[in-house]
Amino acid sequence: MSALWQVLRLIVRLERRSLWRGAVLSVAVLAAGAALLGLSGWFITASGLAGMAGIKLTFDVFRPSAGVRFLALGRTAARYGERLLTHEATLRALVTLRLVVLARQMRAPSEALARLRGGAALNRIVSDVDALDGLTLRLVLPLAAGVVTLAGAAVMLGWLVHPLVGALVAGGYALGGGLALMRVAKAGRVPSITAEAALQRLRLGTIELLRGRSDLIVFGQMQDRLQDLAAADHEARAAARALDRIERRAGLALGTVSAVVAAGALALGGGLVVHGVIGPAAAALGFFAALALAETVSGLRRGLAELGRMQVAAAGVMAPETARPVAPTQSPKPVPGAPALSLEGLRFARPEAVRPVLEGFDLTLARGEWLALRGPSGTGKSTVLALAAGLLSPGAGVIRLWGQPLADWPETDLRARLMLVPQRGALIAGTVMDNLSLACAVPDRDRAATAVEAVALGAALASRGGLDCRLGEGGTGLSGGETRRLILARAILRAPEVLLLDEPTEGLDHDTARRVLAGLRAALPKASVLLASHRAAELACADRVIAL
Amino acid sequence: MTIATAPSGSAEARLRLAQAPQARALRAGAMLGLCAALIWPLQAALVAWVLAGLATDVVAGQSFAATGVAPAMTLAAVLGAGLGFAVLGALQAALESLAAGRLFTAADQVLATERGAVLARAARRGVHASQGPGSGAESAAAATSAAEAALVVQKLPFLVPALTRYGPARWRVMVMPAVIVMLVLPVSWVVALILLIAGPLIPLFMALVGMAAKEASQRQMVEIGDMNSLLIDRLSALTDIRLMDAGARTLSDFAARAEALRVRTMAVLRIAFLSSAVLELFAALGVAMVAVYVGFSLLGTLRFGAWGSGLSLGEGVFVLMLAPEFFRPLRDLAAAWHDRAAALALAEDLRAAEAEDVPQVLGLGALAPRLPGPPRIVLRAVSVTVSGRRIAFPDLDLAPGTRLAVTGPSGVGKSTLLALLAGQIRAETGTIEVAGVALDEASADGWRAALALVPQAVHFADRAVAEVLDPRGLGEDPARALAAAGARDVVARLPGGLAARLGETGAGLSGGEARRLLVARALLSGAAVILADEPTADLDPETADAVTEGLLSAARAGATLIVATHDSRLVAALGRELRLPPEAVV
Repeated sequence: MSALWQVLRLIVRLERRSLWRGAVLSVAVLAAGAALLGLSGWFITASGLAGMAGIKLTFDVFRPSAGVRFLALGRTAARYGERLLTHEATLRALVTLRLVVLARQMRAPSEALARLRGGAALNRIVSDVDALDGLTLRLVLPLAAGVVTLAGAAVMLGWLVHPLVGALVAGGYALGGGLALMRVAKAGRVPSITAEAALQRLRLGTIELLRGRSDLIVFGQMQDRLQDLAAADHEARAAARALDRIERRAGLALGTVSAVVAAGALALGGGLVVHGVIGPAAAALGFFAALALAETVSGLRRGLAELGRMQVAAAGVMAPETARPVAPTQSPKPVPGAPALSLEGLRFARPEAVRPVLEGFDLTLARGEWLALRGPSGTGKSTVLALAAGLLSPGAGVIRLWGQPLADWPETDLRARLMLVPQRGALIAGTVMDNLSLACAVPDRDRAATAVEAVALGAALASRGGLDCRLGEGGTGLSGGETRRLILARAILRAPEVLLLDEPTEGLDHDTARRVLAGLRAALPKASVLLASHRAAELACADRVIAL
Repeated sequence: MTIATAPSGSAEARLRLAQAPQARALRAGAMLGLCAALIWPLQAALVAWVLAGLATDVVAGQSFAATGVAPAMTLAAVLGAGLGFAVLGALQAALESLAAGRLFTAADQVLATERGAVLARAARRGVHASQGPGSGAESAAAATSAAEAALVVQKLPFLVPALTRYGPARWRVMVMPAVIVMLVLPVSWVVALILLIAGPLIPLFMALVGMAAKEASQRQMVEIGDMNSLLIDRLSALTDIRLMDAGARTLSDFAARAEALRVRTMAVLRIAFLSSAVLELFAALGVAMVAVYVGFSLLGTLRFGAWGSGLSLGEGVFVLMLAPEFFRPLRDLAAAWHDRAAALALAEDLRAAEAEDVPQVLGLGALAPRLPGPPRIVLRAVSVTVSGRRIAFPDLDLAPGTRLAVTGPSGVGKSTLLALLAGQIRAETGTIEVAGVALDEASADGWRAALALVPQAVHFADRAVAEVLDPRGLGEDPARALAAAGARDVVARLPGGLAARLGETGAGLSGGEARRLLVARALLSGAAVILADEPTADLDPETADAVTEGLLSAARAGATLIVATHDSRLVAALGRELRLPPEAVV
């Protein structure tokens, strides 16, 4: 519950004004509805009485009929304003909420980022946040408006008709409606959570099916996965049907409550007339107002049926963040004469691993030097690069950039000076230029074109629109080698002082590899480069080679 | 009374097609709803009778005792009327609930069918389909996995409200206003006339709103897909984004998309809210006119419009309680209008996706018994268009046990050839013969049962390594295959070993380690034909040799080995080379 409460407070904090106004208008809509019907009933009955009694000349027709018109138009206007305000405010707040969730995802530890499955995070940012739109629109606002209106109605009916009628109508709705709605919330909890969970599984499964379809087809798993998805769909729809049944039952209960309350108002009012306590017009007022007040409870069943789903979604959205060290804000001064990068006495072990990957590891990368790390697969070359880029933290030892510990550099500064090109860089859907634009705040087509030429990619792209060549999801549309080169071009645009390259020419033929490496060197003549490699072309271009 | 709609024929036809199997159930639900709506006039008559009786008695005043005339309303009569009103109200609620249940069940079936169809279509999409600027640059973006998932999860459910609300509202619109006018006419022709004049204004207005609503819904649908597409790519690239300090840019990109979706959604809602406000206004004005007429008639100021001796109080109350019900179905229809618009926009989406010429896989991708013949491969005049480029392949005859290196510069069609051989895309011209039969819809699954793939791009399913290694569930011990692929220590290093789960692109493994696992998977499958795409690309010479040796060991056991590669050592080890000429690409 507390997560839902937090979300509500966040939404209210973001949109206080609009929500307050919306709440006032919600009450106005309900109150005007009751007043409109009550006044109309009273007016007709009173006119009829006056006509029968022959006192039509003293009966004031104009004020009540003006009131009816005012209430009718005012109610319409209030409803329009209320809907617009509350929806606008809620949707705005949800955009902020999505950004909050994405920003938190982006701050996650690097290892968690690497292991992140896109679909799962997508579910949190899209589905969970979407599930929360009902919190204000279908739960809190209608509930508050309903309670206020019923309380007001009790007072007004007590005054204008008879205290008994006021008590019967307000009490009837509060008690009958309240009971029916509490049942909805209770019964709807499990199916609403089940439906949402199954839908999220369906989303995840669809994404995995499409992304992994090459393997799924070859290994004959496609139909199995389709069946898994059919099962998720089946479960989601079964839960949705259960939820619909619960809601319909509540609708039946609320409809009956409304009929009983209105009938009670009619009978009680009629009885009071028969006993000469009130007039028929007042009785009509009571009955018609009672009829209209059904609105105070009828709009709530959807919101309450969704309550369970909202709670789970809120817990996902508001999940507590793991504590992070305070990031430095002040840039340290590079130590004069210090090497570009130095690794001193590093130790690194994977959790649960018996043997550490690195133990007492030292390395110095001089200014402008190209240094290659060689060694068989799995000896920790990538680990050294990830440590040097600050993606992993060493168990012991210190890493310095320009003589200053890595942890002392503010993130923006560190990334401006040091760039790692990992083994599996990711591309995004969009044009080649869109991908290159990720590297720099101000995209510059000329620089981008130069970078593409430097990695010998220009010719390959020329026939496909050059920088405007469109890529599919995750950069599909390029061959493995082209992907690799585009990622290197992106790194060139960062213009780093220190460049860390993990198997930079993987997937390239020998000639292309040599051209790419020469292009890199020409494009970044001053950069100090540390590369993990075992290819002859890469080792040949290094000033120094260290075996791991 | 039918509502004129914009000429959106094809989307409407598609929507009709979707609901056709459930048409009877949907109509039955609508009929039940109609029955529920017909109860209100009875309730109105009861209320009119009570109020008229009470008023008559009050006007007759204290003279009951003197005249000996019994009062029209006794306490018992009042209570009886109250009970009757409550029972009728409960009956109405029950009928409505029953109707809603019928409608929901039917709409749910429609949703199930359409969802199944979308998923089945996704499963049949060719492997190179999303790589296709050639197959339509715009469609490449539209068909991202996240956009497709959004269609399945977020957009298809838009069908349900359209079917449960719009259809029944249309039936009520066709029946209820006529019924109300017929009930009112015997009481007062003026009221009937007011209703008849005010009524048609509404459909006129709706026709105007209709077009705008559909367009707005369409934009919203597109934006839902776009936001999902943008997000999934950024989420998969978060490490790169951190390394390039692109976090702020990514957030602002996403903020722009999320904001655009909000604006599109609000545009849809604004039209919906405005149209229902305007309709409410019409209804309010119509009812107010009726009320004014009834009020003045009752006072005796107006003496026309009713038949005979003027309007009585009971008749006035009855007419006034019916007037809003004349407008209610019209308002319901207006409220359901944007549901309908959303469903039409969705139908348009579906229609466009179905009409699109997306490359298809051959067969179902299901487990099937292997084709009986020896796994001979024959290619004749095969060509295919990928990324807008036409690639023609040389004719091939590959006997079982052949070892073939496919070489050539990047982009020449090496991966495409492997996809063709695996039936992951279809040849446009020519024939591929496998195991003595044509590779087609019927034979593809059986052919693939003898196949294993070592892909270039790594995508690990969210499953335990043991399952990843043995996707067909053969249940064999992976130890030997792991050893042959030089991957035994890879698994040993993973936390949890064979039970570990890997990241989507193999996080937790180096590129070489991931590759060795995939080779192990191919060896473990006992395939008669192994297709490998750059299997040694990111391996050091020692590991590359180990992998090559692993693949060759499968070949020595009789398997055909077809390898796309740049690695000259691997080419040499395989012995036979097919060099794809660049000029074949047009």
